[in-house]
Amino acid sequence: MRASLFITCYNDTLYPETGRAVVALLERLGVELDFHPKQTCCGQMHANTGFRGEAFSQAKRFVQLYQDAENVVIPSSSCVAMIRDQYPGLFEQLGNETLRRQFATLVPRVFELSEFLLDKIGVEDVGAYFPHRVVYHASCHGVRALHLGDRPYRLMAKVRGLDLATLPNVERCCGFGGTFSVKNAEVSSAMLAAKLQDVVSTGAEYCTALDNSCLMHLGGAMHRQYAGMKTIHLAQILASTEGSPAEAVA
Amino acid sequence: MSQAAGHHAILDPTLAPPFPQAALNVLRNPQLRKNVTHAIDVIQGKRARLVAEKTDWQELRSTASAIRTHALENLGFYLEQFEARCTAAGGHVHWAADADEARRIILDLLRQENASEVIKIKTMTSAEIQLNTFLEAQGISAFETDLAEIILQLGDEEPSHIVVPALHINRSQVREIFARRMGLKNLSDDPQALTAAARRYLRQKFLTIPTAISGANFLIAETGSVAVVESEGNGRMCLTLPRTMITLAGIEKVLPRFEDLEVMLQMLARSATGERMNPYTSLWTGVTPGDGPQNFHVVLLDNGRSSILSSPKQRQTLKCIRCAACMNACPVYRQTGGHAYGSVYPGPIGAILTPQLMHMQHAQSLPYASSLCGACYEVCPVKINIPEVLLELRAQVTDQERKQAVRFFDPMYLGLRIANLLFARAWIFHAAQRLGRIGARVVTRKDGWIHSLPSVGGKWTQTRDLRGLPSQTFHEWWAARGKEAK
Amino acid sequence: MSAPAQSQQSTSRERILDRIRAATQPSTAAASSYATLPRNYIHKGALNADARVNLLIERLREYDAEVIEATPEGLPAAIAAQLAASGKRSFVAPAGLPADWMAPGFDWKIDRGLTTAEIEQADGVVTAAFCAVADSGTIVLHHSLAEGRRVLTLLPDWHLCILRASQVVERLPEYFDRCLQPPALVTWVSGPSATADIEMTRIKGVHGPRFLHVIVVHDQDAPATNSN
Repeated sequence: MRASLFITCYNDTLYPETGRAVVALLERLGVELDFHPKQTCCGQMHANTGFRGEAFSQAKRFVQLYQDAENVVIPSSSCVAMIRDQYPGLFEQLGNETLRRQFATLVPRVFELSEFLLDKIGVEDVGAYFPHRVVYHASCHGVRALHLGDRPYRLMAKVRGLDLATLPNVERCCGFGGTFSVKNAEVSSAMLAAKLQDVVSTGAEYCTALDNSCLMHLGGAMHRQYAGMKTIHLAQILASTEGSPAEAVA
Repeated sequence: MSQAAGHHAILDPTLAPPFPQAALNVLRNPQLRKNVTHAIDVIQGKRARLVAEKTDWQELRSTASAIRTHALENLGFYLEQFEARCTAAGGHVHWAADADEARRIILDLLRQENASEVIKIKTMTSAEIQLNTFLEAQGISAFETDLAEIILQLGDEEPSHIVVPALHINRSQVREIFARRMGLKNLSDDPQALTAAARRYLRQKFLTIPTAISGANFLIAETGSVAVVESEGNGRMCLTLPRTMITLAGIEKVLPRFEDLEVMLQMLARSATGERMNPYTSLWTGVTPGDGPQNFHVVLLDNGRSSILSSPKQRQTLKCIRCAACMNACPVYRQTGGHAYGSVYPGPIGAILTPQLMHMQHAQSLPYASSLCGACYEVCPVKINIPEVLLELRAQVTDQERKQAVRFFDPMYLGLRIANLLFARAWIFHAAQRLGRIGARVVTRKDGWIHSLPSVGGKWTQTRDLRGLPSQTFHEWWAARGKEAK
Repeated sequence: MSAPAQSQQSTSRERILDRIRAATQPSTAAASSYATLPRNYIHKGALNADARVNLLIERLREYDAEVIEATPEGLPAAIAAQLAASGKRSFVAPAGLPADWMAPGFDWKIDRGLTTAEIEQADGVVTAAFCAVADSGTIVLHHSLAEGRRVLTLLPDWHLCILRASQVVERLPEYFDRCLQPPALVTWVSGPSATADIEMTRIKGVHGPRFLHVIVVHDQDAPATNSN
């Protein structure tokens, strides 16, 4: 099984350890991974802020870059949602027939990480070991755009040593929302405060999710407030074994 | 200055401050926030239980969405049919292109009746055209009869929700308003006592004022009927006892057939108040001799709705049946309440409807008042893809704003234009990452975190730290690994 | 309306309809596309007659309506008992209310043009109904002669409604199936009036009858009928 890793612009810059974990995990499972050196961004930030033309140019680039990929794996549910939900409209409005056809053939080969593990490789037990109390934050794009359902929970259920806490109001938005976090920083912070209360109340050591965007927001507040909790992308939990425990995280 | 809100909310989109600023007023008001979250959580809990119980909920949603879409696609046909049937049944149908015309038509009708007072059933549409203020200026007193609307009217407050408009006001605040305005010194704050006071206050008005104004939840094209959905009975009072009834309705309210109510009525109360059915729903057709108003007028209001129709993606905005499930589900609304939206239509539906009714000339901050979480779309009984419309409107606002010279130096616009250049070529992106790493060292503390950033970044670091840039990007690590392997 | 206003009106009407037509341009006629709309929701309940009636009674009692059951022969006595227990004296009766429902010993005001003041002074009202929907506890009034003008079930504080078991359906679409044609006037009543406008605390009896009593008559042997 071969797959191309689309790391995402913000993971590349801010969370390379998540990428390293995805590589370790997938190679352990026998996947032959490659990494297209020309990748940059899927265009979500621009699309969500209303910069449609700019988003289109990035979307076009993405589709052309991955034309020949057997599979594209992305450790970010919001980026996958962008590709599935917004690329069609962008190409309808600004693209041409060729581009729309290229996209149509590519999109069935694009997977969020948990989708790739469960639906493509067909594995639930990835051989992980992570002996900690963990709370899982269900990012909105994962829940409502990708309909991931119980995929993350099935993966976590097989991680040895993991003690999964129940998060109250698990599907309520954390308040990140991309540029919303700065354009409406105060409201974003109010939503964050409410979310943090639920998360911290679980007494978990780690808060995990399938999106580092949410974790950057939650983790940033945890660090500011000395909340005694850390964030870690689910890929890093799944990559963690006795022999190679998860890298020290913030 | 109202005590409940601690500020005077401006619900006129041409005057209201932008959402981030208006929200700030609310965020600093713990009483208001507590009132809002309490109300929201109660309705949400009730709705969730009833939806879980309704095994054909998703099928009903699909049909409700299809009926509303079909009605909008054939709106001209159904409005003409409604007009013909309503007129044949003894009603009079008027067409108002905008708020100004609607107000004048209503005023003319009231003058014909020599009306100096009217009783009103709650209708957001009349708030949209600022009818009460206009009538007062013309010497006509418009008495609200919904309990929430009375609270707001007597307390000189503004609605903050389209179904439970006074949810931001608690019982002791209501007590204070009633005691002061109704002259009831010994009134307790028990909701039972407060409600009884409202009942007595209104009884005489219902029995004596001969002219009423209502909205419409639905207009039925096939029969020319109007349906009003309510809980308290004040609607029934207003649509039964007076001699003259004037119904103001947005043109989008029309349903094709009477039997379409079998779907809509199953969805509306569950979505709006978390009940299987609201206490009273009334339907009437034109004039019935001996029963109810003998002089009946419908004022059909456009006021921007027909221009929303012309965009296929935006048209779905008009499917709305005003249930408010979206604002009950919205995590942003939960924190800010309705006043922050500066419109009589707040919450997710308000964020898309208000700017469009304003022809995108006002309320441009509203499409950004959302984290795009999608909870609204999930609960909307008619499947309005609110996030999709929000994104469409954001693109229009950006296209408008980027033409303005001042935006060239706006840090957000500058930043996004630069980011686009960086993303165009991997080598530029990588160079920028290296530069960023160097620059970030200036603001990164010993613990490896950034606690303070300038400009737009400062909005992040107001409440959150940011982990410093790692010394190696992922792609650099991959490239190095590749070289090692060789 | 004055002449200038009238021509303004026709202009507005045309302008609005022109804008709508320019914006929509449907490809098929309304009637044909209406016929193909998806309707995969539940149209008919699965409960048998007894279960249906029991569900209705349960829902009505959840609204604090008082519900008793009676046989057709026992109905007049059941009505008399309800009226006596109410402690009230004067009752409004719709013009078409069956004579044997007007129990002796009470002051009956038959509506042959009662004034609002007369209705307002009565203690209660007794009516029939068109239909009842069990799963939402809804009583449907079409305001026929035995159900009365709308004001009759609005002003008095106490309402006794006589329902036949054959009038009870389980789900709302079944009520619509029973309407041979759309009625001109309908009031759907689901419990006494209520408000939750103050702190979401449900308070009953704002306007409209605060006390709802229902007698369900077990007429299951009689054929189902739409008339009263």
